[in-house]
Amino acid sequence: MVSRGGILANVATYAAAVLIAAFFLVPLTWLVSLALRTPQEIFFGASRFIPENPTLDNFGQVLRDRGFLNYLWNALKLSGLGALGSVIVAAPAAYAFSRFDFRGRGVMMMAILAVQMVSGLVILIPLYRYMGWLGLLETHVGVIAIYIAIGLPITVWLLKTAFDGVPIVLEEAAAIDGYGHFETFLRITLPLASPGMASALILNMILNWSQFLVPFIMLSRDAQWPISVAIYNYAGSTTASTTHLLAAACLITILPAILAFLLLQRAIVSALTAGAIKG
Amino acid sequence: MRMNRLFRTATALSFTGAVALPLLPALAQDDLVTRDRVGLADAENSLTFRLTAYDLYSADPATAEGFVELFTTFINEHPGWRIDTQLQTGNLNEEQARILEQAQAGRGPDCAMIDSAQLATFKNAGVLAPMTDYFTQAEIDDLFPYVREAVTDDNGDIVALWWFTDLRVLYRNAGVVPDAPQTWEETQQAALDTVDEGYEGLLFNGGRTEGTAFDWLAFFWAQGGELVDETGAPIFYEGENREKFLAALQFYDDLVESGAAPQRVATITTYDDITAAAAAGTTAMFIGGNWQYAQLQTTLPVDQAEQWQVSELPGPTADQRATGTGGWAIAALSDDPAKVEMCAEIAKLYAGPGNAFQRLLPTSAALYEEYDEFAGPEFDVFAAALENGQARPGVASYPEISNQIQILLGEVLSQSKEPEQALDDAAAALEVGSDS
Amino acid sequence: MPKPIAQALSRRTATTPEASSIPYWAWLLPVMLVIGAFYIYPIIDALRLAFTDATLTGGAESYTVRSLQRVLSNPALPTILSNTAIFTAASVVGQQLLGLSVALLVVRGERHHLPGMLVLRTIVLAAWVVPGIANGVIWSMLFSESPFGAINGVLRLLELPTVAWLSNPANAMLSAIIANVWQGTAFSMIVLYAALKSVDPSLYEAAAVDGAPAWERFWFITLPQLKAAILVNSILITIQTLNTFDAILALTGGGPGRATEVLSLFAYNTVFYQFDLAGGSALSILLLLISLVLAALYMLFMPKRDM
Repeated sequence: MVSRGGILANVATYAAAVLIAAFFLVPLTWLVSLALRTPQEIFFGASRFIPENPTLDNFGQVLRDRGFLNYLWNALKLSGLGALGSVIVAAPAAYAFSRFDFRGRGVMMMAILAVQMVSGLVILIPLYRYMGWLGLLETHVGVIAIYIAIGLPITVWLLKTAFDGVPIVLEEAAAIDGYGHFETFLRITLPLASPGMASALILNMILNWSQFLVPFIMLSRDAQWPISVAIYNYAGSTTASTTHLLAAACLITILPAILAFLLLQRAIVSALTAGAIKG
Repeated sequence: MRMNRLFRTATALSFTGAVALPLLPALAQDDLVTRDRVGLADAENSLTFRLTAYDLYSADPATAEGFVELFTTFINEHPGWRIDTQLQTGNLNEEQARILEQAQAGRGPDCAMIDSAQLATFKNAGVLAPMTDYFTQAEIDDLFPYVREAVTDDNGDIVALWWFTDLRVLYRNAGVVPDAPQTWEETQQAALDTVDEGYEGLLFNGGRTEGTAFDWLAFFWAQGGELVDETGAPIFYEGENREKFLAALQFYDDLVESGAAPQRVATITTYDDITAAAAAGTTAMFIGGNWQYAQLQTTLPVDQAEQWQVSELPGPTADQRATGTGGWAIAALSDDPAKVEMCAEIAKLYAGPGNAFQRLLPTSAALYEEYDEFAGPEFDVFAAALENGQARPGVASYPEISNQIQILLGEVLSQSKEPEQALDDAAAALEVGSDS
Repeated sequence: MPKPIAQALSRRTATTPEASSIPYWAWLLPVMLVIGAFYIYPIIDALRLAFTDATLTGGAESYTVRSLQRVLSNPALPTILSNTAIFTAASVVGQQLLGLSVALLVVRGERHHLPGMLVLRTIVLAAWVVPGIANGVIWSMLFSESPFGAINGVLRLLELPTVAWLSNPANAMLSAIIANVWQGTAFSMIVLYAALKSVDPSLYEAAAVDGAPAWERFWFITLPQLKAAILVNSILITIQTLNTFDAILALTGGGPGRATEVLSLFAYNTVFYQFDLAGGSALSILLLLISLVLAALYMLFMPKRDM
């Protein structure tokens, strides 16, 4: 059934895939190797790539720490609500960009992209003073508000693409049925664009998941920290090296993000695919 | 429409966190020490304390347990108080910047751990509360001179307790290098001999990190070199200081050029990198911090561990020595005298029993006598070296000076610039920076 | 509002009579409010700070152009800018090429029902979500030039000469780029994969009838169809890379010397190491200007219909 050329091409595909996979996998296996070591073996570097006394204690120790689960919850809450907020705020604007043709539309879309170019480093200090004035320092609400803002530019772009893919005919039909414009948007367009919205949500969540500077500057109580900040607690000290715990904590931290992606990857991809669900 | 389900899954995922969160913190009500406090939840007095994650909340269970005990005793001796603990991450620069910013905005912690290198910045910012009243004159007099100077402000008040110090020493595997080299020349020769035996040679920090500048400065200070004048302006690239600076630079340059140190020292940015090489047995000599001694003891099997010995850093001649001294301080940022006193009490807890438990070096001679933990032979070497201890200059320009030294050392060690050129470029960069 | 809506009517058929009941700016309002509060205000403040002598250590702020002058006349700035250009350009090209390769492989695998491509995609994604601090730990062990360094260890086993990955200034930049590409490829992979999936299959069918060889199909059909995606992607990655220094900070700290110090790391050091808020603000405004100019350049190449 498969031609000779086809087999050759398949072999080439796999050869390339294995090479690329190796480039991405080798560093990850390092992380696994470190997470399985005893503190003593950490100092032996590459000479103990396969630990002599592999142990799962590091994972146990990280998970037994009640604080750690709390960090995970905080991270989920902040990144989830932040992502949801971005989608809700961005949706009407993305709809307008998709459906209306007004003067300055292109310029405004570029302007929205341009705000993403601002380095978080420096606006954070003005933002810190400003949030203090609003009374939102040391609160999750303040962090979520900033996450919403950070996620907005890319979310507007993603949702515009998703709305572009919703056939206009359906909205016209709704209008004939007597729906108002906003009602059409809520009842027809949004549900039809839900894969796009799901993917924007997940992409935002993944990006928020790894935010460090924002929660770090805004929150000083350990109980409020997301894992991206708390993970620095495992970075060791002058008197003890805790690289083994850091590695285990990192592995546990990346699992939810990978899991979310695996569960929803089809939606993510189709949202990015303009017009893929047209048919 | 099938995709609707996916959107709902995603939404549900994002909500789970929000709903489940309130369930967690309600767990331990009557523990005396929890994640965010020491003392009873309903105590009448409280203060906030920003501490590093190296002790009470250490990832190392033994350390954490030891400190839970110390703090439990402490809080029982101070009934009616609750310490609300706030953790500092290991992200040193951001942490210190954050405390400063918060203190300026009036939202700082009441009491905080501050890196000794940053003490001057905090002092100049005027955010530290005087603690003099809570120490006896004898306690103040017993502090090492460089410590006393660093914690005293312009009014003569004690504004912090620098509760432990550290220093740099020369480590050697005595099985390979039996006698401790005393001079730069002897050191280079001894290192070359170890290279002949298949070792890497002398290792030290040479990458872009504070440790690089600080470790190396000992060789500049050993000649009596001075980084800044009394106004805090950098003077190390002028006159006599320039000669001394270049001589110390030449020492490092020669080490790499002769092969006594591998070129990879330009990549070493943590002491752990060096400990790793020592543990793996690839090096027989390194310049390191006193705390690495204990690390080697716990990492290596006994027969190998006892091979590692420490000696004072070499000098240009055997009687010109210096070593950089760092460590951490605890200071009060509150206006409330009761809280400042409590902060001073916490500082004393760390300085005495805390140090004994962690075997960190106290900053007061009396404490070495008081605790048996400081009886080991290594402490004799440390104590002798501390007599030539030199703290970083207490000026706000130090971080930038250190930054420039790190850059020029990197350029020299990676053989991309000659010492003179590298020093001139650093001087030019500092001149631009200081004209404001 | 009738005028813009009328324009919309002339080009699209979406707007119904009811549409005019909600003016377009009302739809934009939520986004504008959030952007105004969380971006425009802080940017203006950062701009203002750039013209002061503000520091994190407090004290009265006064207006001056000294900070700006100091930053712009820093003798290290040319080196830092050229490092930034090299790091950004190489990272963007590297991430796009690798991302496109993975996307092409996965698409081909799916079309021919080759198992295992999902695994490839997941591995690439995992690298994306590894916390920055772990990235540094991992790569510094891989690039370590010590006798037990991982990559050099393998080279030694193969009796090949070892490489001064981090101690040689030029190699150090290359190593930082590799670590950054490793972390960042997933994003372009996702975007390009989606773009590939949306290429109209009938285009390929026509080419297959004509008997066009694979590379011609790629060159004349696939690439032109991907142009818009690649350009938008380039803008996003460029912005992101200009602002990224995690990998560099953890791997080399900007060294040896200044060999890997990029503008964002320089700005970071200025704020968090020297506590110089004014200088850091000036640098971040410079960073913003560079991003804007680059984005404008990319837009020149954008096909008109995708605006």
